[in-house]
Amino acid sequence: MKLAVFLSDMRRTEDTYERLKADKLGVILVENGIYHAVIKEGGKESPVLSKAGATFYVLADDVETRGFTAANVNPKVKLVNYGDIVDLIMNEYEKTAWL
Amino acid sequence: MAELTLGVFPSLVGSMSLDFSFKLAEAAIAKGHKVNMWLSGNAVMMAKKGQKAFKDYSHLEKRMKELMSKGMEITVCEACAEARGYHKEDVPEGMKRASMDWYLAKTVKTDRLLHIGGE
Repeated sequence: MKLAVFLSDMRRTEDTYERLKADKLGVILVENGIYHAVIKEGGKESPVLSKAGATFYVLADDVETRGFTAANVNPKVKLVNYGDIVDLIMNEYEKTAWL
Repeated sequence: MAELTLGVFPSLVGSMSLDFSFKLAEAAIAKGHKVNMWLSGNAVMMAKKGQKAFKDYSHLEKRMKELMSKGMEITVCEACAEARGYHKEDVPEGMKRASMDWYLAKTVKTDRLLHIGGE
């Protein structure tokens, strides 16, 4: 299964998140979920970004709304816009989940 | 053209998820897709016409009407609306009210489904 997971919050959802398995996994960071892509705690990146085999995306609008720029985004994470997210949903992944 | 159904179950006025849903719907329609939207829980705030657009609040009625004019189908949970005192006569033109069966039927037939949870 090709699964796109939306993370919309900075709260820790690792328990559910870590259990997710898919042949192809995309993690789309939106709303307050973008903080996983732009901040470090104690010098360490968010554990969300350590999900093996996943491809990470972050919504540029939500990054900029919170005062960050592309330069602040972890290099593991691709900046996308709303149109890109539509293409990911319709073309790249078969199922979606919102955590 | 494919069909995308959005189930929206957000929090109160100014909801990030509700804003996100409408922007995503707008982008999907711009790419030629058909979009259905199910508004449940506090998202039924959209089922009250005539809301005032304050400067610092998200105001989605205008965007919603534009999207419906482009073919987006929006249906609100009738029970959720009635529970909040929003009645049939309050509904903006073009919006439908239905039971959860409407959403369930869409989830089976749609090409893609995004169920957007609460905040």
